[in-house]
Amino acid sequence: MTTLTKTEDAPAPTDPDAFLSVRDLRVHFSTEDGLVKAVDGLSFDLERGQTLGIVGESGSGKSVTNLSILGLHNPQSSTITGEILLDGQDLTDASDKELEKLRGNKMAMIFQDALTALSPYYTVGRQIAEPYMKHTGASKKEARARAIEMLGKVGIPDPKNRVDDYPHQFSGGMRQRAMIAMSLVCNPELLIADEPTTALDVTVQAQILDLLKDLQQEFGSAIILITHDLGVVANVADDLLVMYAGRAVERGSVREVLKRPEHPYTWGLLGSMPRLASDVSEPLRPIPGSPPSLLNPPAGCAFNPRCDYVDLVGGGRCTSERPLLPAGRGSACHLEAERKQQVFIEKIQPRLG
Amino acid sequence: MLQFLIRRTFGAILTLFLISAVTFFMFFAIPQDPALLACGKNCTPDALAVIHQNLGLDKPVPVQFWNFLVGIFAGRDFAVGHCSAPCFGVSFSNQQNVWDTIVDRFPLTLSLSVGGLIVFLIVGLGAGLIAAKNKGTAIDKVFSSASLVLTSMQIYFLGPVVLGLFVYSTGWLDKPSWVPIGESVSGWFMGLLIPWLVMSVIFTANYTRMSRSTMIEQLQEEHVRAARAKGMSSRYVFFRYAWRGSLIPIVTILGMDLGALFGGAMVTEITFGLPGIGRLARDSVIDKDLPLTMGVMIVSAAFILLFNLIVDAMYAVIDPRVRLS
Amino acid sequence: MSIFGTRRTRAAVIALAAGSLVLTACGGSNDSGSKDNSKTQEDAAKQSAAVTYGDAKASTGPAAEVPGAKPGGTISVLQEDDFSHLDPGQTYVSDGKILDRLIQRGLTQYQEDDEGKQTLVGDLATDSGKQTDGGKTWTFTLKDGLKDQNGSAITSADIRHTIERMYAPFITDGPTYIQQWLSGSGTTYRKALPDGPYKGKHLPDSVLATPDEKTVVFKFKEPQPDLPQALAMPGYSVVPEKTDTKEKYDTAPVATGPYKIAEFKPGKSLKLVKNTNWDPKTDSVRHQYVDGFNIGFNHSDDDQTKTLLADRGEAKNSIMFTGQVATNQVRNVVEDPEAMKRTIQGYAPYVWQLNFNLDRMTDKKVRDAITYALPSAQIYKLDGGAYGGETATGLMSPTTPGYDKTYDPFGKLKKPNGDVEKAKQLIKEAGAEGKKVVYAYANTPVRQQQSVVIADRLKAIGLEVVKKEIDQATWYEQVGKVDNGLDLYMTGWGQDWPSASTVFPPLYDGTQLQDGSSVYSHINDEKVNKEIARILKITDPAEAQKAWGALHRDIVERINPAAPIYYTKVFQIFGSNVGGLRYSADSSYVDVTRLYLKK
Repeated sequence: MTTLTKTEDAPAPTDPDAFLSVRDLRVHFSTEDGLVKAVDGLSFDLERGQTLGIVGESGSGKSVTNLSILGLHNPQSSTITGEILLDGQDLTDASDKELEKLRGNKMAMIFQDALTALSPYYTVGRQIAEPYMKHTGASKKEARARAIEMLGKVGIPDPKNRVDDYPHQFSGGMRQRAMIAMSLVCNPELLIADEPTTALDVTVQAQILDLLKDLQQEFGSAIILITHDLGVVANVADDLLVMYAGRAVERGSVREVLKRPEHPYTWGLLGSMPRLASDVSEPLRPIPGSPPSLLNPPAGCAFNPRCDYVDLVGGGRCTSERPLLPAGRGSACHLEAERKQQVFIEKIQPRLG
Repeated sequence: MLQFLIRRTFGAILTLFLISAVTFFMFFAIPQDPALLACGKNCTPDALAVIHQNLGLDKPVPVQFWNFLVGIFAGRDFAVGHCSAPCFGVSFSNQQNVWDTIVDRFPLTLSLSVGGLIVFLIVGLGAGLIAAKNKGTAIDKVFSSASLVLTSMQIYFLGPVVLGLFVYSTGWLDKPSWVPIGESVSGWFMGLLIPWLVMSVIFTANYTRMSRSTMIEQLQEEHVRAARAKGMSSRYVFFRYAWRGSLIPIVTILGMDLGALFGGAMVTEITFGLPGIGRLARDSVIDKDLPLTMGVMIVSAAFILLFNLIVDAMYAVIDPRVRLS
Repeated sequence: MSIFGTRRTRAAVIALAAGSLVLTACGGSNDSGSKDNSKTQEDAAKQSAAVTYGDAKASTGPAAEVPGAKPGGTISVLQEDDFSHLDPGQTYVSDGKILDRLIQRGLTQYQEDDEGKQTLVGDLATDSGKQTDGGKTWTFTLKDGLKDQNGSAITSADIRHTIERMYAPFITDGPTYIQQWLSGSGTTYRKALPDGPYKGKHLPDSVLATPDEKTVVFKFKEPQPDLPQALAMPGYSVVPEKTDTKEKYDTAPVATGPYKIAEFKPGKSLKLVKNTNWDPKTDSVRHQYVDGFNIGFNHSDDDQTKTLLADRGEAKNSIMFTGQVATNQVRNVVEDPEAMKRTIQGYAPYVWQLNFNLDRMTDKKVRDAITYALPSAQIYKLDGGAYGGETATGLMSPTTPGYDKTYDPFGKLKKPNGDVEKAKQLIKEAGAEGKKVVYAYANTPVRQQQSVVIADRLKAIGLEVVKKEIDQATWYEQVGKVDNGLDLYMTGWGQDWPSASTVFPPLYDGTQLQDGSSVYSHINDEKVNKEIARILKITDPAEAQKAWGALHRDIVERINPAAPIYYTKVFQIFGSNVGGLRYSADSSYVDVTRLYLKK
C-alpha cells in the first residue's frame, strides 16, 4: 500500500457546550470471517435541545453507533474504543449497572418497528411502566398512572382503557406512539430515534415527527435521528452527519449539507430522492454499485468504487489514500473545494431542480 | 374460551370413538383367533367353540362393538358378575374387570409421565438456558455435545446400565418399585427416581437443544433489545422477555411429544418391571386380550387428549395473541 | 392330554427356553459349557427313578423337620408374570403349580427326599389310594381334621365337586386326564355333565361315588394305574363346594394348604399369610416355617438374577419361583463360589427335538443323516449353555422313569457337535443331495439364533434349506396342523408326572393324529399304536416302565420320527438368608414347602 501514514481524522476540539460528545469511536466485531469494522473512527457533538440527523445507507454504521452509545453490544463479540461522553461521563468504560441506570432514564431509544420492539407478551401499559418503576422507584399504581399520562401525551385516545391492551391490539401508528411514550416516560435528556417513521404511512409519519418536535420543546432533550430519508431530516434536524462504510463523510448544519452538499456520496443520496418540484421526466438516479463490505473495505476512499469523480483527483489518491473529514463543516473527499463547488453547480444542482 | 373448550371436548369424544372403532375392527382383521391362545396345544373345534362362547366371540363383530360401547355407558353383565359403567368389559385372559385393572395401574403411569415430564423440563430447559446464556463458550459446547450423546440413548439400554451401576453394584439408589403416593411420599419418590431420570434423558437432550436455539433466537429479537434499552436488567430481560418468547415453540413441541411421553413411560415400565399401563398394554397385545387392549387404548388416548388440551390452554396463558384472537 | 392356558403359551416359552429370554452374552455360556460343574447324569438317575406309592404311614403328618429350620419372617418372591389363574381347576403351568403347593391340597402329593427320590403319598387322602378290579376302581379315604381356611370341614362331597366342576364350560385351561378317563376322550367328556355340578346334576355313582363323608370311589372303564399321580396335579386340588364362586373363584380362591391369600393385586403382587386352619398333623410333606410370602411380579430373569446375586437388603430373604439365572448372568454366578452355594440345579422335564414330518420326510436315511448331523451342544449353548441344557441322546427325558443314560444310538455323546461325515455319507446313499427341506422355527430370539446353526448344518450335509419363521403365539397351532406344509420343526414336550404315559401317547400315538394334536411328526405306526394302548393298561409301574423303555428304543431306531437335540435344565439362585433350599423333581423348580429364614 502506498497510503500515507496519517489516516486519522483531525481530532476536532471538544465542544464545551456539548451534551453528548463522541470521539474517535470504533466498533469492531470479530466474526468467523474476520474483523468487521462497523464504525471506524467517528466523532461528533450534540448540544441539549438540538437534533442531529444521521443519514446513510443500511450498513453504514448509523445503528451500530447508537447501540454503542446505549452500550447494547455484546462485549464478548465486539470491541469498542474511543470516547462517548454523555454529560461528561464516559460511557465506553461505564459498568453494566451504571449503564442500566442511564438507559431508559437519561438516554432512551425509539426503535424503528414498534411491532417487533414491543414484547407481544405484556400489555402496553406494563411495558411503559416498567422503566418508570425501575428508575424512579415508583409504585405499581403510580407507574400505571404515569403510563396513562404518557399515552395521553403521545395522542392515544382513551388511554385509561388502552393501557391494558396488548401491542397487537394497537394500530401501527398507535404502536409507534406507545413506543415513544415508553422511551419518554423518564424524560430522557438524550433520545435516539432509529428510523422512527419508516414503518409508517406518510400522514402518520408527519404526526410522529411533529410529536417528537413538541416533546423536544417541552423537555429540552437532545435527539439523534437516524434515517435514510433526507426529507425527514430536513424537517426535523439541526445538524446533519452523512455516514458511509462506518465513517462520517460529511458534516454540517442541515441547511448547509442539503443546499451545498460537498461529498459525491451526499450528491448521490440527494439524487436518489424524489422531489415535488422536480420534472417528472427526470429519472431518479440511484447510486450505482452497492455498499462496500465492512470486512474488507476498499483501499483509500471507501466510496471510490462507486464514485464518478475519481478521475478528477490526481495521482490515484482516491484508491490509495483515505480522505480526512475536517472538524466543523466539511467533507471527507480528495476533490478540491472549488472542484466540489463547480461539479455540484454544473452537474448535480440542475438535476435536483 | 368456553366455546373453545366445548369444541375441543366434542372433538375429543369423536376422536376417542374413532380410535375405539379402528382398534376394535383392526383386532378382528388380524388373522388370529384370540380363543386359540386360550385353547393351546390340543385344540379341538369343540373346545374352541366353548371358548368362543365364553369370551363372547361367537356374536358378529358389529354386535360385539355395540355391546362394548353400551357397556361403557350403561354397564354389562358377565359370568364373573356385573360390570358397572364405565365398563370396558372383562379381560379374556384373567377375567378381571378391565376398568378396575386400569384404574389400579394408571397412577403409576401417570406418576411416571408427569414426573418424567417435570424432570426433563427442568433439566432440559435449564441446560438450554445456561447454554444459550453462555453461547459459544466451553459450557455451551459441553452441554451441546452431551445432549447429542444423550439423544442417541434408549431407555432399554440406559435403564439396565443405570440399574447395574447404582442399584446392583453400589446400592446407592433404591431399586425401582411402585409405592402409591398415598402410602408413602418418600417411598413413591425414591421408587420412581431412577425411572424418572432414565426416562427423561431421551427427552432432555431434545429440549436442551431446542431451548438453547429458541433462546438464542429470542435474545436477538428486537423487543429484547428494546427492553434492555429501557434499562431493564439483563437477568430480567433474559427471563421475562426472551424466555417467555422461547416457551411458545417449546410448548408446541411438547404438545407433539405427549404421545411419545406416554410411550416412553410404557417402555420405562417394561424396562424396570413396574406394573403400569405399559406392561398391561404389552401383555394385552401378546395375549390378544381385546377388552384390555381397548381399555388401555381408550384411556391412554383420553389422557393424551386431555394433556393436549392443557398444552393448548398453556399457549393461551403464555401468548396473549392466542388468547385474544 | 393338556389344554394349554392363555398365558401358558408364554409361560411355556419361558419354561421351555430355560432362562433364554435374555441371551446376549454368548461368551458366558461358552465358557461354562466346557468346564462346568453343573450337575448332570448323576442327578438325572435319581430324578428318573420310578415313583413309589407311599402307604398310610408315609402319608401321616406332621412332616419331618428340616434340619436347622426355624420359624418366622417373610420371604419375598420375585416373579416375571402374574399367575394366569388362581382357580386350581384352571391351573396347569409351573408357576401356578408352585403357588398351589403353598395354598392348596389335593388327594395326593409327592414326598421327596434329599436324594430326589419321589414317593407319592396321600395328601387329603390317608394314603396314595387303593385299587381294585385290576386298576379300574380306585378308593380314597379322607384324613381326619381337614379344614379349609374358613374352618369348614373338607368332605368327600367336596372332592366330588372338585372333579365335577372340571366339566363346566368355564374351566378351559386345566388338566383333562381324569375327566377323559371317567367320561370319554377328547372333549366328549364334557357331554357327561355339560353344566358341571352347578345345576344339580352329578356324575352317576357308577363313575364317581361318595358312599360316606370320608370315602371317594373312582370307577373307570379301563385300568388307570397312573390315577394317584394325575390327582397330584394342581388342577385337581380341592375346591370346597360351599366356597365355589365359579368364574370369580379365579381371583379369590379359598386356601386349604399352609398359607392363604391375604391380598391380591392383579399384575402387581400377591401376599400370602399363614392359614391357621391348616393342621400340620394332617400333612406329611408341607411345612409352615415362615409367616408368609410376598410375591411381586414384573421382575425379569435378568432383574431377578442381578438382585439375588447382589444379595442386598430385602434380596437376602428373596427367592425365585419359576425364574432362572439369566443366560447372560450365568458366568457371574458360576464364578462366584459364595453365590453358587445359594443355587440349585436340576433337570426340567422337556426334551427339545427336531420333528420330521413323516408325510414328507419319507426316507429314513435322510432322517438319520440329519439326526447324526445336528450339533446339539451348539444349539443348547444358545439356550443357557451347560446350565440350561444338555445333549439329548434319545426322546425320553432324564426325568422320566425308564430313561437310560447309556442309550445313545446316534453317538451324540461322543460327537455333541454332530457327525457331518456320517451324515453326508447317508445323504449320498439316499441320493438326497440337494433335496429341498422346509425348516420352520418360532420367532423368539433363542429359536431364531438356533435356526442359524441348524440351517447351516443342514446345508453343510448337502440339503437345500428353505427357512420359515412362524409367530411364537401361533407356533403350536401351525405345526399342529396335519397339512402344515413343513418338513422340520423343533418342539419341546415335558411329562405331566413322572411317567412315560404322559409323553409317548400324546407324541407318538398315530391314532390321535388330527389337527391340533401333538403328534407333530405325524408318526402313525401300527405296531407303535398297539404297543402304546397295551402299556397304558399295565398296572405294575416297573413293568410299564420297562415296556416304555423298549418302545422308546423301537421308535427311535426303527422309525426315528424326531431328532433328539437337548434336555432342558433349571438353574436358580436365592437370597443368602433363605434356608432349606432343595430342588423339587415334582415342580422342576425349588421346593417351596420347606423354606425357612435363617435369621
